[in-house]
Amino acid sequence: MSDSATWKAVLADRIPDELGREVDIFATQIELRKQDKIDDTVFAETRLRRGVYGQRYDNGKRFDGSNTQVLDFPSGDLVKGPDTVWDAPGMQRIKIPFGGLTADQLDMLADVAEEYSDAILHITTRQDVQLHYVHIDDTPDLMYRLASVGITTREACGNTVRNVTACPLSGVCRTETFDVTPYARACSRFLLGHQDAQDFGRKFKIAFSGCEHEACGLANMHDIGAIAVTRTVDGSEKRGFRFYVGGGLGAVPHQAKLFEEFLPEEELLPVSQAISRVFARLGEKRNRARARLKFLIAKLGLEEFKRLVDEERKVMPDDPEWTAYLSDLHAYDEKPLKIAQPLNGVAAGDGFEEWARTNVYRQRQDGYAVVTVTLPLGDLTSNQTRDLAEISRRFVNDTIRATVEQNIVLRWVSESDLPELYNALAEIGLNEPGAGTIVDVTACPGTDTCKLGIASSRGLAAEMRARLADKGLDLDAAVEGLRIKISGCFNSCGQHHVADLGFYGISRKVGGYTVPHFQVVLGGQWTGNAASFGLAMGAVPSKRIPDVVARISESYIEGRTGDESFQEYIRRIGKVQVKRMLDDLTDVPPYEIDSSYYMDWGDSRVFTTGDMGKGECAGEVVPLVQFELSGCEREAFEAQVLLESGQYEPAYKQAYSAMVHAAKALVKTQFLDVPEDPDTIVSEFRTRIVDSGLLHDNPVTRGKFANYLFHAQRRNVDSYNEDLAHRFIEETQLFIEAAYACYGRMNVVSN
Amino acid sequence: MNAYRIQIKFYLEIGEDVAPETWFRVFNTWIPETTDEVLVDVADYSHVHRGTVTLLVGHEANYSIDGTDGKAGLLYDRKQPSEGSFAHRLESAFVSTLKACGKLERDSLLAGAARFRTNEVLIGLNDRLLAPNSEETHAAVRVELDRVLDRLFNGADVTIERDPDPKQRFTLRVDSASEESVADLLRRLNGNC
Repeated sequence: MSDSATWKAVLADRIPDELGREVDIFATQIELRKQDKIDDTVFAETRLRRGVYGQRYDNGKRFDGSNTQVLDFPSGDLVKGPDTVWDAPGMQRIKIPFGGLTADQLDMLADVAEEYSDAILHITTRQDVQLHYVHIDDTPDLMYRLASVGITTREACGNTVRNVTACPLSGVCRTETFDVTPYARACSRFLLGHQDAQDFGRKFKIAFSGCEHEACGLANMHDIGAIAVTRTVDGSEKRGFRFYVGGGLGAVPHQAKLFEEFLPEEELLPVSQAISRVFARLGEKRNRARARLKFLIAKLGLEEFKRLVDEERKVMPDDPEWTAYLSDLHAYDEKPLKIAQPLNGVAAGDGFEEWARTNVYRQRQDGYAVVTVTLPLGDLTSNQTRDLAEISRRFVNDTIRATVEQNIVLRWVSESDLPELYNALAEIGLNEPGAGTIVDVTACPGTDTCKLGIASSRGLAAEMRARLADKGLDLDAAVEGLRIKISGCFNSCGQHHVADLGFYGISRKVGGYTVPHFQVVLGGQWTGNAASFGLAMGAVPSKRIPDVVARISESYIEGRTGDESFQEYIRRIGKVQVKRMLDDLTDVPPYEIDSSYYMDWGDSRVFTTGDMGKGECAGEVVPLVQFELSGCEREAFEAQVLLESGQYEPAYKQAYSAMVHAAKALVKTQFLDVPEDPDTIVSEFRTRIVDSGLLHDNPVTRGKFANYLFHAQRRNVDSYNEDLAHRFIEETQLFIEAAYACYGRMNVVSN
Repeated sequence: MNAYRIQIKFYLEIGEDVAPETWFRVFNTWIPETTDEVLVDVADYSHVHRGTVTLLVGHEANYSIDGTDGKAGLLYDRKQPSEGSFAHRLESAFVSTLKACGKLERDSLLAGAARFRTNEVLIGLNDRLLAPNSEETHAAVRVELDRVLDRLFNGADVTIERDPDPKQRFTLRVDSASEESVADLLRRLNGNC
């Protein structure tokens, strides 16, 4: 390999043009930021929209247990967003729509985790993959390599449509109405980078479920939750969705509201687009704590929200993409690698029976099973990932999915292969039983890496896993199926609201010290698509939470009547009795008596919340126009690079493109559906921006900025030369400046 | 050879049974103490099978107690470019690794619970682009590598074996007859303990 080789060049024939171009743009934006030619806030939202996220110490400081240390990074004042030091290694979130993965993708994820991260892949509660401690300068190469296997990180963070999730059993589930996979895929592709989904005040989450009663896609806690239903119309079965809107967890959980009892499949994408438009137009932009869709619906009322969406739906120009995928719904249907054969007493390794009981799900297709690979804390190493890819090729091929419970499932396993598959998993340490049981604890990253984390969710989860796994077969059947979910703070990334036993990190002051605590949330319902949320029962020191689990579990085992569920039991005994039961666990001994209370799980430092930072999950609110004008600056920069390399015609054309896009950005403030055609854009720009006086070329400039565009549109260039290209790039830059000024004045007027 | 993402691992002779919490505590003390490089955070991965146990994240390089190949040791993992020839970069990586090993051997929290052996070392290039796992890469680094190893082990015989798995990164396992201490090796490379 040549020493000057690049991944972009080496993988050129495998990187789809569109994905490659996206990474090129991000690489240019990184360069522009280094040259201080792009605003901090704009760059922050730009990188977030590429999944490049800050970590806990990205403000360049770290508390060592006694003092706050300044981390002396070499890039000095350069930042990648407000308060985010350039050199601070960060998190890379990688979108995996509906959790669907191939063996080749696993291989590539393993490689990039080794070379740019810490050789650990973390599966999130939204079926994403996250890598930690990634340097921003490595992200373009990481993205080119992922693009070569069809993965994009676009819109993994920021105020965008996040990873579209779906039940990992879709297509093989015994109780589903129909396979939602093609719909989740279509929705994900349609809204990725869609113009109507670029101007949100906060993130936007979508989930698909195949059936109503299982946990499935957790539709009730999403901005849009779509549950598969059918209806007989004129004697034939028609597919559609029970369509929910405005659900969400976070600090203030909201159950989703039923938007439509039966939304026909052909209306799925246009209605989602119309909702995006209404959310972008009317959603809160300033108060970040109230900017999710759930708050807009609460403010407007569901009926008014529906009316606005219906109105928007009627005026939206038709888009063939709305229904194109419906004629090809089975294009991506999975095909089993092996012939279905029953499990016929084949010898299996130790522990197989217990593993098969908890980790194997019989598919609705006879002779096939889904195997859950349990991942401790959602983590697996690069080597395990590569080995899992090989196991997948051997037993199932590309039918792999990440789950919202931070595991991975292999689908279409021939039942006769189960013992051999178990042995293969055992060789790489991935044969833990207990999937979907109380041992399979879910936790967000918490204080380990998240700036918002208050207490160590992963530390507590590791402790709980270890204690419960030790009990193993001794666990009472009544508690085995309970879910434990832990968040590092009230924002609920660990989904504590929908767990039987949920916990979220808080802190309390005791004798001048800050002590890590968890709020205990009991009785949430995971099934029924996250049918109900739990109730907060009180704060307990972090170190006593395992005792809380033990005490509540024992109380349930002893006190339940008949088939009483955990939720019913908690409701029956009531908050007062639960509080009484936990009362003595809330005591914190003085530091001098027992200092362990003053340190968090898995952390030897004296606890502090002093190293918390400003969260990045809320993104930065950058108005769409500003975002687009920033893109025009990047195009002008690229024109300059082309000019410097002697490519005069491409340089001129790139500059013209930048100018047209700047005009379009302004037109969009008045007319959302402006077409892509440059002549129409220029015409609309003349009418809506120039003739209306909005551009406000002053008497000194005498309209010259607009004329740069008008002349360029009319100009017939016989030969492109350096002088022409150079002058035109100068004009383009002035035009972009005028567009910024125009937008600034519009803002002043509207404010 | 332009690759700069060099990895070096020395194995623990004593200390495989040290609890992950102890490594975590020790690495945390390094962050405020270290002045010649930027150390950022400590991560606990003791829950994963055959991987990193405890990771000290740095800007220039990471250090970890690593069990990826089933044997615990200290892994140095260079991330930022460094100056000089490949031999110079390799030697610098050895110095950093040996310094870290020495620091652990002398650490007061560990109180002598960790000691490294020098008769086996793993050398890797964490860059599949510039250093694919091939005989060509092996040939390209061999002359400079031999020179560094000759100096490090004072001319003692060594055997070098490349991991042939094409999916793995370029990795060499070096066995030597060395019975020397970490401090001896470091002294030979003109590094200070």
